[in-house]
Amino acid sequence: MTHPIISIRHAVKTYGKFRALDAVALDIHEGEFLTLLGPSGSGKTTLLSAIAGFTALDDGSVHARGHDISGLPPEKRDFAMVFQGYALFPTMSVAQNVGYPLRVRKWSKDRIAQRVHECLALVQMEKFADRMPHQLSGGQQQRIALARALSFKPDVLLLDEPLSALDKKLRSDLQWELKSLHKKLGVTFVYVTHDQEEALSMSDRIVILKDGKIQQEGAPDDLYNLPKNQFVANFLGKSNVVNAHVIGTQGEHLLAEVEGRQFCATYDHANSPTGQVNFALRPERIRLGPPGQETFDGHIAQISYLGERCQVLVRHDALGEILVSHPTWDAALQPAPQMPVSFGWDAGACVALDAS
Amino acid sequence: MTPSALRIFFGTGSWIILAFLVLPILVVIPVSLTDTSFIGLPKDHLSLQHYDTFVHSTKWLFASWTSIWIGCVVAVVATGLGTLFCIGVWFLSDRAAMIVRWIMIVPILVPPVVQSLGFYKFWVTLGLIDSYLGVILAHVLLGLPYVTISVFASLSNMDRRLPLAARNLGASIGMTIRTVIIPAIRPGMISGGIFAFIVSFDEIVSVLFLTVRRVETLPKMIWEGIQESVDPVIAVVASIFVLITLIATSLAALRRS
Repeated sequence: MTHPIISIRHAVKTYGKFRALDAVALDIHEGEFLTLLGPSGSGKTTLLSAIAGFTALDDGSVHARGHDISGLPPEKRDFAMVFQGYALFPTMSVAQNVGYPLRVRKWSKDRIAQRVHECLALVQMEKFADRMPHQLSGGQQQRIALARALSFKPDVLLLDEPLSALDKKLRSDLQWELKSLHKKLGVTFVYVTHDQEEALSMSDRIVILKDGKIQQEGAPDDLYNLPKNQFVANFLGKSNVVNAHVIGTQGEHLLAEVEGRQFCATYDHANSPTGQVNFALRPERIRLGPPGQETFDGHIAQISYLGERCQVLVRHDALGEILVSHPTWDAALQPAPQMPVSFGWDAGACVALDAS
Repeated sequence: MTPSALRIFFGTGSWIILAFLVLPILVVIPVSLTDTSFIGLPKDHLSLQHYDTFVHSTKWLFASWTSIWIGCVVAVVATGLGTLFCIGVWFLSDRAAMIVRWIMIVPILVPPVVQSLGFYKFWVTLGLIDSYLGVILAHVLLGLPYVTISVFASLSNMDRRLPLAARNLGASIGMTIRTVIIPAIRPGMISGGIFAFIVSFDEIVSVLFLTVRRVETLPKMIWEGIQESVDPVIAVVASIFVLITLIATSLAALRRS
């Protein structure tokens, strides 16, 4: 059996009373693009810093290919990190920055020059070799930080919110570049961000953290379509949370009831929920129709127009306010304020959540 | 008052304060050119006779040279020790480190006479009285607070992630200090060193306590010169150093602009 490239076992880190990491266990596999996603204070940066060796764990261990590396100093780990704010050495030129890990490793001058050139070419920054970091824009500094981290051919690249300081347009350009770089190099990426869109668009696998605990991990579409709890449902995209009484199962699905109206929902077959249960419901998967056509009847409270779609807030007596994302090109139903409508969904659109 | 009146008021005020600060220093220049044999403004004509006396007096030249080299040694030693101290404290950056940093600055607050008395008692037991080593040690201790203040200011401005980045890229702690931290805080080290040099160069209290006849520094010579005779060579020495300082600072200012 091959060992995961990084394996974290029962990692605990406390700062005073604050538990930054609470018994976190995680395997990172060779070549994957793994994202640690969570709000600030969720422990994602602490976890990254424990992998890099900057933070000593109170309990638990970090393993690399099966070897315990918890005691190794950062310089012995060979995990390259791209820092938030880039941390380029201000007294060195771009080429010296990129060559730094190689000079530390005592490579010969010729080999360093060649490799520096390769790495700068990789991020299309060859022309800037002699500039100083302060003469570069944020996006350019970002590329240099990336080139510097990749120059010594590390197995793992750790990225700590590398795009957070950039404007939106540049950010999405660099997202594409990072993704293609990951594909091209086959290096394992561990990416920390609080931006759910970034996480969804780039990752092979997302780990969602909150209060130092892993909430859920999986492929982006799995997490989006099958959130386990309310936190995940609301952190990745928008969700309506409705409370309903479970009355049984129907084939693959769970059958629930609100005021005598029944609907189907997807659920985790490992634990069969009973009684009052919360369900997550994506706004774009709710259908609107004329009164009486769908399961529930209500009326429109508010509309906001967003171009290709509009957000419609539908008020229902028992379910409360339900957010619906409705295509504006649907000629059959043009929503207007106070209009009576009905709404419903397919079984796959609704997910039963854990109690927590 | 109208805005323009205000401007005139404050403009004049600042020029007066500037004159008050600078004129007493500049007055040594005409005094050094006096044709009299005592300290005073020139009477009949300007004369370079006291400059002539200075450059031909082994006593004065020797004292100048002593002050300069002691100052240089003090600057180097104090900057070295102070920088190591600051880097250590900065890495720890906990409560204890902060307290130690404050203790380091205390020598500035202690009256020089009290401190020199302390040096004297201690140096007697160490057998360092009237030795160059004794003066250098005392001056290093007096210069250290200035070095730590200036170096620590540089360190606080440095991105805390820089040393992390260096270590992440494979540099040991020693290498990180040498290749990343020292270059980043070099301006603070240089100004700290200059401070230490100046502290040593014009320090007189501890020198009077710690030396007898063997060690003669420039401030001590001037002090003795005033006590024994009112020798205009003192004004010559003062003028030379004022001019050197002026030239050095304007060169530095020119280089920066």
